[in-house]
Amino acid sequence: MFVMLQTVFPDLSAATPEIFLFIVAMALLMVGVFAPAARAAAVVGRLALLSLVVALVMVLMQDGVKVATFENMFIVDRFAIFMKVLVLIGSALTLLMSGRFFAEMNARKFEYPVLVVLATLGMMMMISANDLIALYMGLEIQSLALYVLAAFLRDQERSTEAGLKYFVLGALSSGMLLYGASMVYGFAGTTQFAALAAVLKGGEVAPGIIVGIVFIAAGLAFKVSAVPFHMWTPDVYEGAPTPVTAFFAVAPKVAAIALFLRVMLEPFGGIAAEWRQVIVFLSVASMILGAFAAIRQNNIKRLMAYSSIGHVGYALLGLAVGTSEGIRAVLVYMAIYLTMNIGTFACILAMRRQGQYVEQIPDLAGLSKRNLPMAIIMMLLMFSLAGVPPLAGFFGKFYVFKAVMEMSALSSGWTVLAVIGVLSSVVGAFYYLRIVKVMFFDEALEPLDLPSGRELGLLMGLAGAFNLFFFPFAGPLLRAAGNAAAALF
Amino acid sequence: MIIASLAFYLFAIMTVGSALMVIVARNPVHSVLFLILAFFSSAGLFVLLGAEFLAMILVIVYVGAVAVLFMFVVMMLDINFVELRQGFLEYMPIGALVAVILLVEIAMVAAAWHFAPEAPEAMAAPLATLGAGHNTEALGNLIYTKYLYLFQGAGVVLLIAMIGAIVLTHRRRPGVKRQDISEQVSRRRDQAVEMKRVEPGQGV
Amino acid sequence: MVELWNNYIWPFAWIVLLVLAIVVPLLLAVAYLTLLERRVMGFMQMRWGANVVGPFGLLQPLADGAKLFLKETIIPTGANRVVFVIAPMLTFILAFIAWAVIPFDDGLVLSDINVGVLYLFAISSLGVYGIVMAGWASNSRYAFLGALRSAAQMVSYEVSIGFVMVTVLVVVGSLNLTDIVMAQKEGMWFFIPLFPMFVIFFISALAETNRHPFDLPEAEAELVAGYQVEYSSMTFALFFLGEYANMILMSGITTILFLGGWLPPFDIAPFNWLPGPLWFFLKVLFLLFVFIWVRATLPRYRYDQLMRLGWKVFLPLSLFWVVVTSAVVVAFDLFPAK
Repeated sequence: MFVMLQTVFPDLSAATPEIFLFIVAMALLMVGVFAPAARAAAVVGRLALLSLVVALVMVLMQDGVKVATFENMFIVDRFAIFMKVLVLIGSALTLLMSGRFFAEMNARKFEYPVLVVLATLGMMMMISANDLIALYMGLEIQSLALYVLAAFLRDQERSTEAGLKYFVLGALSSGMLLYGASMVYGFAGTTQFAALAAVLKGGEVAPGIIVGIVFIAAGLAFKVSAVPFHMWTPDVYEGAPTPVTAFFAVAPKVAAIALFLRVMLEPFGGIAAEWRQVIVFLSVASMILGAFAAIRQNNIKRLMAYSSIGHVGYALLGLAVGTSEGIRAVLVYMAIYLTMNIGTFACILAMRRQGQYVEQIPDLAGLSKRNLPMAIIMMLLMFSLAGVPPLAGFFGKFYVFKAVMEMSALSSGWTVLAVIGVLSSVVGAFYYLRIVKVMFFDEALEPLDLPSGRELGLLMGLAGAFNLFFFPFAGPLLRAAGNAAAALF
Repeated sequence: MIIASLAFYLFAIMTVGSALMVIVARNPVHSVLFLILAFFSSAGLFVLLGAEFLAMILVIVYVGAVAVLFMFVVMMLDINFVELRQGFLEYMPIGALVAVILLVEIAMVAAAWHFAPEAPEAMAAPLATLGAGHNTEALGNLIYTKYLYLFQGAGVVLLIAMIGAIVLTHRRRPGVKRQDISEQVSRRRDQAVEMKRVEPGQGV
Repeated sequence: MVELWNNYIWPFAWIVLLVLAIVVPLLLAVAYLTLLERRVMGFMQMRWGANVVGPFGLLQPLADGAKLFLKETIIPTGANRVVFVIAPMLTFILAFIAWAVIPFDDGLVLSDINVGVLYLFAISSLGVYGIVMAGWASNSRYAFLGALRSAAQMVSYEVSIGFVMVTVLVVVGSLNLTDIVMAQKEGMWFFIPLFPMFVIFFISALAETNRHPFDLPEAEAELVAGYQVEYSSMTFALFFLGEYANMILMSGITTILFLGGWLPPFDIAPFNWLPGPLWFFLKVLFLLFVFIWVRATLPRYRYDQLMRLGWKVFLPLSLFWVVVTSAVVVAFDLFPAK
């Protein structure tokens, strides 16, 4: 009664890191259930960290030749490898930060590392997506895990509120994305990126496809928290447990930017003229809002939320340029952004007074007298976030503006964009410097505790050192980013 | 065939009508019941299209499982209907505005309706490999080969949803007696019964 | 006019006749099933069952029916009238429309659809609505508790029923009920190779029909009569008829999936003299007897034990057997081929 289709068994080798993480997640669930309850969380946490590192090695061992598998739904190229390395580093380091926090909050559960692994799996699927359906699937795997992580401290009202808000708004954005994808499918007749690119070579484009692209861009803008789809970010960043906020600030953002780049450039690259204004608008609005709205914040996690909105604005500027120079700048920017945020959140996690975690900016007062190394690292990171030379953050912005200026030969509009970018980064510098001022010049009412645990110190040190001594890393990073960016063209 | 078109209009009117009632009904339980009716009549439409497998799955999954849990929750909630109404009226203008914008957009798109020339061909592509057979068979042949990756991905989504539901809601209450059946069954006589020699006239 | 008659009226009338040919015997069967239950339980408990009205009590179901028919229908003041009345009708109708796809013999079936198993599964999964609606509309705590219990119970056991059906489908390679029976003609009846599944299915069928020992939705001792506590006369009768028709239906499905439908046990002389529908009837009768036997024998489950059995025992077991069966089919290349 069956007519068995003769199909080629999919080539699994391209997806080994993903398959590995998936199997690990299921195995860790088993370990968590059957290990003695007292130690389950710690054991699973360590194993999850180990397996993220193993997955990183597996990704690095891939040779970067462009391979598409699973009926062209999954693609591995240098771009995917570059972004997956960033995501895996981000996930692993934020997982490393989290163990002690949850242990001290009495909420250490073995599901946390499992969810982080699954979210990372989703991000890797997003980065490798080569089909609109595969894109959506990766996005949902990632988002669903993140909704749960945001609400992980379920006895805290703030955390559950963050989870619920994130869930409702995230579902809305997924809806918009799906609406757009269905429009594109309806008018182009395919969901595969390569086939879409073949259909949309330029020339006259059906209005349905334009509407579809705009909706897809809106959905993706939500995921990267670009203005005007940013409203969830401050609330979720503030309410979520701090290690989860750190995770949100790095890994999903990198993955979503990667997805944004691939979707805009691969299937819709031929009609870049049609969507460029949308991206320029998102970018400019994000830069400006990120700079101005952060000024009034007193909660440092909220401040980091606005800071990340601003940074996404700069990254999108590179996408708006759309040349391989621009994309390379975005990739370098995201790599540097990752290190700055990991270091900053390690510092935030170290902010404790009498064993309680605090997160207001005035709480940092007098840190320089209490703990000078931490204050110096925090200062370096703040300068780097503000884009002060010769720190890494400066180079991130520098390459983006360089790519923009190269375009300005073609049209004067680009110069205006670059000027807006520079101005808003000057405004942004104000609130980063304010933190430095509080740390060094304000009197402490009651000093903060010394950080406990080696992980945080290690991460702060690494991030600080990377941002301060960026020069030796600049060459290899640029080369890798250049190779990765070339894969999209 | 006139009967088929009669059936189509019956199901179509029922679907649209009950979908409307879902949002208009005053009582949330009635809303859920109308939602079920909407699902059910859409299943009827599927049958008319010859997609009997999808029709049955729609009934089994949405009506038989999802809507039951919906109803379960809605019945237990104590909802203040009056307050709900007020919110509805308050947000009505904004909602209507969004709806109108979407409608205009769709109208604009439809007015300039032209497909990419490759579209019909590309849409038919997955069907070419199928050959004849029931649509159950055809779906199985596609899902487990061409769309294997997505099928597995959907499985991961469900797994995460399960983990999430358990993490966020499951509480192990202290001080509650739990039944351990294997312990009950493995209990031996000498663990439960103690023989005492009771001297006459003294009690235990 | 002739065309209208030939194309529309006559086919329609023919379908109505066929439906009546199924429904009328079924109603009779339900009526006499109640008598059978009382007599069998009577014998098992060493007392006389209903034996007063008519010879051997054969007129008892008619008397019961007349009594229920003549009583007054009471609708409680706080009840939601529409839902309250629809609920028993829904239960009753669902118990009967499932019979549209049940084959009584090769070709003797009202509608021989491709997805027969799924249709049965879909209809049986709708059964919960009658009870939930009744419980909610009654505006009574007992009824509501019964409804909640039944919603959770039926949804839980449907999961394992679904997996059992999947196992059978893997072996047969078709969702058509006639194909399923014919597949048992060549080999053996499926209750032999799939014995654990057969047991799980039958126990889940008990839970699905809210029969003892899983009759918690109407647990008399705790909930008075559960979801039907506010019902009287014909509304109650519809529930009652629906419940017993569901028992017969579940026995019919078990017969088709596991006991070879209308096939005789051995395809040799004395056995294949009896016509197929009679064999079908005998098998269903046997299963109904087991239903009653279980009722007379087993005490009621506690609710947490019921849930534990469903989710922690049946679900993993049936899932495991799906995997084992598929593995065997793949490993020994037993793909059902046409």
